[in-house]
Amino acid sequence: MARLVSSRCLMSAALAALLLAAAPARADETCMSPYMPKITGQEDYVYVWTLGIEGVGDGSDKLVTIGANPADAAHYGKVISSVSVGGRHEAHHAGFGDDRRHLWAGGLDDSKIWVFDVAPDPAHPKLVRTLDSFVKDSGGVVGPHTFFALPGRMLITGLSNQKDHGGRTALVEYNNDGKFIQTLWLPDKGAYGYDARVQPRLNRMLTSSFTGWNNYMTDLRKVIADAEAMKHFGNTVLVWDFHARKPIQTLDVPGAPLEIRWALQPRHNYAFTTAALKSKLWLIEQQDDGTFKASEVADIANPMDVPLPADLSLSADDRFLFVDTFMDGTCRVYDVSDPHQPKLVHTEKIGSQVNMVSETWDGKRVYFTSSLLANWDKTGKDSEQFLKAYGWDGNRLSPLFAVDFLREKLGRPHIMHFGQERFYKNQIYAGETGRLVAAR
Amino acid sequence: MLALGAAAAGAGDDPRLRAADPADLAYTYAVGAFAPEYAPPAPGSYTLPPIDTVTDHALLDADGRPTTLFALTQGRLAVVAFVYTTCIEATGCPLSLAVLHRLDRAIAADAELARRVVLVTISFDPERDTPARMAVMRSFHAPASDWRFATTRDEAELQPLLADFDQPVAKLRFADGAWTGLFRHVLKVFLLDGESRVRNVYSVGLLDATLVLTDLRTLLLESAAHGGKG
Repeated sequence: MARLVSSRCLMSAALAALLLAAAPARADETCMSPYMPKITGQEDYVYVWTLGIEGVGDGSDKLVTIGANPADAAHYGKVISSVSVGGRHEAHHAGFGDDRRHLWAGGLDDSKIWVFDVAPDPAHPKLVRTLDSFVKDSGGVVGPHTFFALPGRMLITGLSNQKDHGGRTALVEYNNDGKFIQTLWLPDKGAYGYDARVQPRLNRMLTSSFTGWNNYMTDLRKVIADAEAMKHFGNTVLVWDFHARKPIQTLDVPGAPLEIRWALQPRHNYAFTTAALKSKLWLIEQQDDGTFKASEVADIANPMDVPLPADLSLSADDRFLFVDTFMDGTCRVYDVSDPHQPKLVHTEKIGSQVNMVSETWDGKRVYFTSSLLANWDKTGKDSEQFLKAYGWDGNRLSPLFAVDFLREKLGRPHIMHFGQERFYKNQIYAGETGRLVAAR
Repeated sequence: MLALGAAAAGAGDDPRLRAADPADLAYTYAVGAFAPEYAPPAPGSYTLPPIDTVTDHALLDADGRPTTLFALTQGRLAVVAFVYTTCIEATGCPLSLAVLHRLDRAIAADAELARRVVLVTISFDPERDTPARMAVMRSFHAPASDWRFATTRDEAELQPLLADFDQPVAKLRFADGAWTGLFRHVLKVFLLDGESRVRNVYSVGLLDATLVLTDLRTLLLESAAHGGKG
């Protein structure tokens, strides 16, 4: 027994000693907080936070679980479960906490937040907490948007405020139990909010800027026709000292910069974002002096057509950038091996409209959903509502399956997150080789 | 990682552990070992709002004596880390121990920190991490500051402690349900102030000795500004 103790302790001590030397950072599951565990193998489920539509099913916002593992033929591409939260709240974004067990989901209209527990039965997430005090807790922030896991807490970006429902807003932090921690109002020079993403090894956070409740809850055609309303969109990306939670640089990125994607590989000290109204791809890059610079690096489709680039996803090797444009329902894939000179390598029409794109860690599968906002989605025959799965072979997207969210009486599908049985059942991930299971 | 995997396999007194390669556990973590490429903000130039408050919990010290968390911290600033000594994940417990080792040396070299700070490493594997094994771990690290090693009597003592700290830990199992001898756990290290409030939580991607030292000094400055103790 003594020898066993010694050998184990020596091993840990040796590992500890080795770690005293700096080790390179490892890349993360694409688009997710680097502070939470990643699922690297085949996903079993796609969780879809879905807006309710009056007269469609129960009409409520809901978390929908779709089977995504072809080995489970009975559920592949099928709706496995859905959990309604009652009523329509402009369901929009969601994000897992630091242990990837609890999925926080927000409503942009009345600022409610729901927390689902996916671990006990990953095929059937359970609603375990409803937070209806976000506005009060935060001192007047409205529109919880991005849910970004930090160790022990959840960082939430706001889109608006209670005072005038305009674009002035803040970042809000809660602990994992749903207890409010702090509100950080954005500075005058960059008062609008949208996304927040952290690059841990640089201690830098980027935040982008969209628009307030007055615009995102109004019919898009009315907003575009209203010159005054069109003045109320964000034109900045803020660079933060993340640890201090202090904005240190304001970058001009005109035309509502939305999703932010940091590069994932070591020494790739840059991020991408798209300006929705100007249809430009922007590179946010650290300079030799440590400051950041924003540069336009590509037009996305023809900006004169206002294609409205929405979500984007960067592959784990930093090579491919998938960019959805809502108006033409198209995904454009850029080779961004040289981030200063993106090359359009593939174009795929996904549907009449497309918003979100989620790529698997291995880069082999890409999922799309259709809805942008209840009042911004297309109408009539162009109001397709779907989740579509594609395979990606490095050259082209190939359809795998599609779920019609109207036919299934679900609603408008928005953000997607992945679930995996093995992960939640605490089994060792055996990778492609099946080595561990085979070794028994 | 390959070398570490070979070491893990070669060390096997337990046949289940021979099958476990650290690379197979890497999925649990996001950014891997953390190599900060920045200088932290100056101590006191930022705030650390309380995240949560923890309560006292029964422990066994490395000499086998019953104690409690608060008996170890005694109202001082505390860095509390949960580990298990047979962990083979380079970015798990070994990283935690490596960072606390560095902290220990830095704290010992600073008279005020040495007086005001305690490090606490607690095992979440009471079945195998006996006080004797924690004593072996202590002897390997030969603390220069007040670095305590503790475990719990059993699962009944352990689980409320883990729940209080929001420290998820679960046994890793093979497909047939058999325990591999390993745990899946999100690496977390907790910074407590003198009132047992959690002031920061560090995981891979955030756990760095220089950063923790900066936070400790920030809390000391805060304490001095309020004329109170740590």
